[in-house]
Amino acid sequence: MLSLLGGIFLGWSLGANDASNVFGSAVAARMVKFWTAAILASVFVLLGALLEGQAGIETLKGLTPLNPEQAIVCSVAAAVTVTIMTILSLPVSTSQAVVGAILGVALLNQNVNIPGLGKVVACWIGTPVGGIILSIVIYRVLAFFYNRLNINMFQADSLLRLSLIVAGSYGAYALGANNVANVTAVFVGAGELTVFSAVLLGGLSIDLGILTFSRRVMETVGRRLVKLDPFSALVVLLAEAITVHIYTIIGVPVSTSQAVIGAVLGVGIVKGIRTVERRTLINILVGWFFTPAIAAVIALSIYFAMQLRYVPSG
Amino acid sequence: MPKFFFKKQHQVEALIYEYLEYLETSRKHFSEAINTCLETGVCDDFDFRIRLTHKFESKADDVREKIKELMYGKALLPESRGDIMGLLEAMDKVPRLFELVLHMIKTQNLIIPDLIASDIKELLEVSFENCELMIKQVKTLFERAKGIRPLVATIDFNESRCDHIERDIITKLFDSDLDPFQKLQLKEMVVNMGEISDQTDRISKRVNIISMKRRV
Repeated sequence: MLSLLGGIFLGWSLGANDASNVFGSAVAARMVKFWTAAILASVFVLLGALLEGQAGIETLKGLTPLNPEQAIVCSVAAAVTVTIMTILSLPVSTSQAVVGAILGVALLNQNVNIPGLGKVVACWIGTPVGGIILSIVIYRVLAFFYNRLNINMFQADSLLRLSLIVAGSYGAYALGANNVANVTAVFVGAGELTVFSAVLLGGLSIDLGILTFSRRVMETVGRRLVKLDPFSALVVLLAEAITVHIYTIIGVPVSTSQAVIGAVLGVGIVKGIRTVERRTLINILVGWFFTPAIAAVIALSIYFAMQLRYVPSG
Repeated sequence: MPKFFFKKQHQVEALIYEYLEYLETSRKHFSEAINTCLETGVCDDFDFRIRLTHKFESKADDVREKIKELMYGKALLPESRGDIMGLLEAMDKVPRLFELVLHMIKTQNLIIPDLIASDIKELLEVSFENCELMIKQVKTLFERAKGIRPLVATIDFNESRCDHIERDIITKLFDSDLDPFQKLQLKEMVVNMGEISDQTDRISKRVNIISMKRRV
């Protein structure tokens, strides 16, 4: 159990941070009570992890063969990376940190699954791009129907609130299905956990983060999305959830935050306004390179540190 | 959408209709008070109508407070909360103008001279028509949000007409042989009467913006 602590910490941090991407706007705008959002998110994250979490785990464990010691190194390195970057207020993707850490160990093993890695990196780039494209399409389609609905202001409000809750639940499902691999895939690769126990443990540790520490993040991060009108916030949420779900089916863990940024950018394109600062976009590009690189260096450092031991001479 | 979902939202909806009812009742009593004033001057019946106008203005105020409380209790989306609160604040100025005009007449013992009586009646008739159209427009916004634009145009047209009548009355007043002090008093009353249609025009434009904003 102790050896799984790095993974559990990663899951906790993921739940604490990424729940804001699915219920942040609704909670920050006081449309949904925090506890309603937290319970819905926890249930759907676990459901997503249990029903569709396997594909991501298969992809990550296929990047390189790991022994139990290396699995611990990977999860601790990813956890340390996420913590350092969060403390430094730098954008961080748990998926990229985990892959970076695995890559560090894989370099050491001199055994990297290049096609698998290529697929993962392509999906990272495809995440914000997918968010942009989907939000443009979803906005146009939903707006076409929404503007033709013969409903009053109150009914429109009720419809949007209900849709935000449903889309938030779907987003939580996609988050659990996609990101559970980040939490426990390395332990499956090392043969320490079965796929079922990995998705269960991963899902529960994400839930722990949501239930214990996501409130403040939801309220602060969610305010960014609240600046959008409720319809646009719904489009962003749906685009993010569908993007992440698509990558779940492909079997690659991606960043929900980057999917959200892509979706917000897409809404800006439709409305002809600037919704995302250039700095945020630069941060994503920087994050693509630095997060895996830092995680790889930390993984290598931890691994070397673990090998340092006194060997009596002669 | 079933009523047990979003209970607060349905409460707000019901209260807004109640508010509009009180606004309309207050307007009716104001109209009767002015008619009484034009026919018999300040009298007991006029006082009674003032009290009724105030009673319904006050009831509308209470309802507005209840709506505010519900809004702070997280009913509706934040954007809608802001729109509705802004609209209610703007609408609330109308019954306040009714009261202001009536109290001016009562406290300053104003007597409306015959030379402007018919113009005052016309000014108020058009203003009342605007009040009715404004209430209709607000109801349209909360019912289905279609048919708002033609009402904006009519209210705007009426407001211009009121401005014209108001200017005519003031010209007549200052061309007359009335006491200069009385002229100023009556001018102030006429300006406040004219403000009723100005305010309905502002509200109408606000309703139109709210309606347009809701299109995506």
